Amino acid sequence: MNLHGKSLLELRQLLTDKKISEKELNLYFLKRIKKYNPKLNAFITVLENNHSGIPYGAKDIFCTKGIRTTAAAKVLDNFIPPYESTVTRKLQEAGMAALGKTNMDAWAHGASTETSDYGVTKNPWDNGRYPGGSSGGSAAAISAYLVSAAIGTDTGGSIRHPSAWCGVIGLKPTYGRVSRYGVIAMGSSWDCPGPMTLTVEDNAYLLKQIAGQDKYDATSSGSAVPDYSNEIKKNKKFKIGIAESYFDGIDDQIKNQVYKAIKVLKKLGHSVKPIKLLPPKYSISVYTILQRAEVSSNLSRYDGVRYGNDRSFFGQEAKRRIMLGTYTLSYGYYDAYYKNAQKVRTIIIENFKSVFKDVDLIVGPNTPVTALKIGEFDKYPFYGELMDQLNEPASTAGIPDLSIPVGLDSHNLPIGFKIMGNYFDEANILNLAYQFEKETDFFGVIKKGIERYKD
Amino acid sequence: MKKIELTREDILHLAKLSSLKLTDQEVEKYCNQLGETVEFVKNLKELKTDVVIPTSQITNLTDVFFTDGETNKRVLTKEKATENAKYKKEKYFVVKRIM
Repeated sequence: MNLHGKSLLELRQLLTDKKISEKELNLYFLKRIKKYNPKLNAFITVLENNHSGIPYGAKDIFCTKGIRTTAAAKVLDNFIPPYESTVTRKLQEAGMAALGKTNMDAWAHGASTETSDYGVTKNPWDNGRYPGGSSGGSAAAISAYLVSAAIGTDTGGSIRHPSAWCGVIGLKPTYGRVSRYGVIAMGSSWDCPGPMTLTVEDNAYLLKQIAGQDKYDATSSGSAVPDYSNEIKKNKKFKIGIAESYFDGIDDQIKNQVYKAIKVLKKLGHSVKPIKLLPPKYSISVYTILQRAEVSSNLSRYDGVRYGNDRSFFGQEAKRRIMLGTYTLSYGYYDAYYKNAQKVRTIIIENFKSVFKDVDLIVGPNTPVTALKIGEFDKYPFYGELMDQLNEPASTAGIPDLSIPVGLDSHNLPIGFKIMGNYFDEANILNLAYQFEKETDFFGVIKKGIERYKD
Repeated sequence: MKKIELTREDILHLAKLSSLKLTDQEVEKYCNQLGETVEFVKNLKELKTDVVIPTSQITNLTDVFFTDGETNKRVLTKEKATENAKYKKEKYFVVKRIM
């Protein structure tokens, strides 16, 4: 049977109908991983003996019981978690099994996978370019169809950014929608696990599986989990906001595709109106201060005594972030940096809340440029923050944000489009994305990506 | 605006607080890079924050506790908790002498 390019739900149906076995399914993807992973380096660990369950890719930041989990950092090179993260456990309960642990920026610090201690992942669209990051391995793996779906984590854009650069669908849910238990902590007041998929239906399905309150994550929310798969099929018309401040300094080709996508939304009967959002530069600063502070605290636990290697194994990026976080938290600077950033975080939250009184959803570009060439990371002193400037506002406020592909640029590289929604309004975000998918099939981007990687 | 400069001593102090050992090259590099970053985040001063309440968490959840009588299945046995340690004696972690 030809399985190439089938969505997660299509594969699940084939299993239910007994048209294929779980073993056949796993062997199929293992064969593809064997063929393409040496080139793409999307996986750090491949579970070659895993022949049961519906296969997916889990970012190597999710603790998987008995399976090495590194966060792409040599500090954890030999770490075998004695427990399972809530997200991967819930997926197990839904009949799924991680076929591999995907590559990422070390500790999820970055937007390139360049900082991975296990080598950079290559963008499936152009192997000389970054896949984006930090969940670059997950995005590359599904874009090249090494698995049909993957799970990532997003702190300041780490799901949305690589999804945009690899031309797949990536959702950062509301902070607290999905449990962080068993996710190696980066910025604890920011980290959000979320699904990365080839179809909106798959995304809605996976979100439903992983969302919900978890008694082991006190920040997870008890707000009811809707049946997203049904929600996306409802016929809805939305009031959509567009913020001019999100178009400043954005590549023209990206702008054009985004405007084209907005035209499609208008044609579908949604109303579009201008809104005022604070310039993303403030979110960059808030993110830089608060996230580094949380990093310095979270990474202080790695001493090599209880597990892993000692602190001499930290890479450059982790050291830089720990040092900055330590600085902004230190005596004499705390009020000027940390506390002030917390105040601006309030301002940004209030800004979004007032805008969402007026509109249902906000759309715009996802990244300022399409995938950069490997090595260009060094050219930008503020690389990660610049690349994620449009993603960090939603992270700062904790609202959900989805990236979908809306076309290719002149280098044949995918262009991402974002849909932000109010707190816990993933259903409406996915609903709009589903309408867009039905109308345009993402202009064929996802299919073109997969077709490049034949069986 | 006056450019903030982090001195060699600042960087070494931060490294000590962070328990990181840095090479001379790293010290020099971080002097520049951290200074640049600190310079960038100064833009927050453009916003009025005098009367704003700081946000330390965004879910607004308070007093989250286990329900009475609930079991904590997270608890690891001593064997499990120590299985990743490089140095251990029986079921204990071995650490360097403190005193």
